Amino acid sequence: MSKWIPLWLHKLGSPPIFYRFAGTLRPWFLGLALVAGAVALYGGLALAPADYQQGDAYRIIFIHVPSAWMGLFIYGVMAVASFVALVWRIKLAEAVAMESAPIGAAFTFITLVTGSLWGKPMWGTWWTWDARLTSELVLLFLYLGVIGLYHAFEDRRQGARAAAFLAIIGIINVPIVHFSVNWWNTLHQGSTVRILGPSKISASMLWPLLTMMVATKLYYVASLFGRVRADLLELESGKDWVRRIATENSVPGEQA
Amino acid sequence: MNQASLPRACAEVLRRDLTLAWRRRGDIAMPVLYALIVATLFPFALGPEDALLQRIAGGVVLVTVLLAMLLALDAMFRSDIEDGSLEQLVLAPQPLALMLAMKILAHWLTTALPLIVVAPLLAGMLHLPLAVMGVLLLALLMATPMLSLLGAVLVALTAGTRRSGMLLALMLLPLCVPVVIFAAGAVAAAQQGLPWVAPIAWLGAALALALVLAPLACAAALRIALDA
Repeated sequence: MSKWIPLWLHKLGSPPIFYRFAGTLRPWFLGLALVAGAVALYGGLALAPADYQQGDAYRIIFIHVPSAWMGLFIYGVMAVASFVALVWRIKLAEAVAMESAPIGAAFTFITLVTGSLWGKPMWGTWWTWDARLTSELVLLFLYLGVIGLYHAFEDRRQGARAAAFLAIIGIINVPIVHFSVNWWNTLHQGSTVRILGPSKISASMLWPLLTMMVATKLYYVASLFGRVRADLLELESGKDWVRRIATENSVPGEQA
Repeated sequence: MNQASLPRACAEVLRRDLTLAWRRRGDIAMPVLYALIVATLFPFALGPEDALLQRIAGGVVLVTVLLAMLLALDAMFRSDIEDGSLEQLVLAPQPLALMLAMKILAHWLTTALPLIVVAPLLAGMLHLPLAVMGVLLLALLMATPMLSLLGAVLVALTAGTRRSGMLLALMLLPLCVPVVIFAAGAVAAAQQGLPWVAPIAWLGAALALALVLAPLACAAALRIALDA
């Protein structure tokens, strides 16, 4: 067993094997993500009670908070994959890092949009230079920088390595930005009204939140698998296994 | 092969870059003019009211200097990439990080130093109190090398690409947020009569760290970007 697992993991680094592996698992992840997401939405929107202060407006946290978690989590995944890509030069790690970036940027964007939609009725403003909001915005810029650098190169792999380096610089930068922004904001003034204070969240609100977190994770994996598969086909175009898939798919009635 | 000693190689790189910059003196003046223009536009946009200008002066000068440096950053390695001398530097027996540190120093001397020299003028135009001027200069002396060092890493990363001006701005923004916060924080604190040493000390600590790490990162980035 102990010999079998590393061998199996090691093989996953090979593009054709990962292509098949991801292709088999992707529908399951996507299906589970949809089911978990639907359950979480029902739990959050219908079952959970309204907040005694915010009424129904608080329900946006069931999207907002899981997206925020994912924004940071995906950045972590991207940085680790970038490190692996730079140190061991694994093609798959490059693909994982670079295909994570747009998904992470999307989650970060959703976090910012839902946050400002919630902020308008609650804080009375779309945007405030609160420490967390600012950090989140900087995170979005970091993602955009990685995506932009990746696409600025003619050579895909070279672009991936350069962008991977930027991602690693970025992850060192995230805590520094968070710390400095905190310091900056407390220097000037306290932030605006904090309605979600230190009060503990009740269990009827917590479980949909956690379910949604699982759903977003599953969705990320499904989406990443799909993107990496497409990326691998492009990177490896001209290799035998890609040709085989292309000819298999071109024959009508014999879908892979 | 006859190897030059390390200090001599450093001096040569520095001398070469400074000579090149001196031959094109017009380029040195460009960021200064740009900063002057931007700082002049602020009173037109916000109104000539003294109290308001005084309050924003420190921040405006810092951001203006940052933008002017960003404008010049793009050219840091450009001519060296075009004529192939950067590849020679990579192949040289001397440590690449040290050679790049010399190039960054030359860039700082030719871009940031003139900006620091005109900064009191810009601040004076915006009615920054004379007592705060020293803190502003100290903050600029700490912040501009940071920007040069951080910018050099990013420029090295984009060395293999075509025109990359906007991309550089996008990548530099998250990195320079802390620098701007602390530099402007020091000036604002001094203006309000509060102790301003802490943010300057933080900047100094960050600068010490960047001085050591950024040339190494710059060399690594350049190796990635040039290996085709």
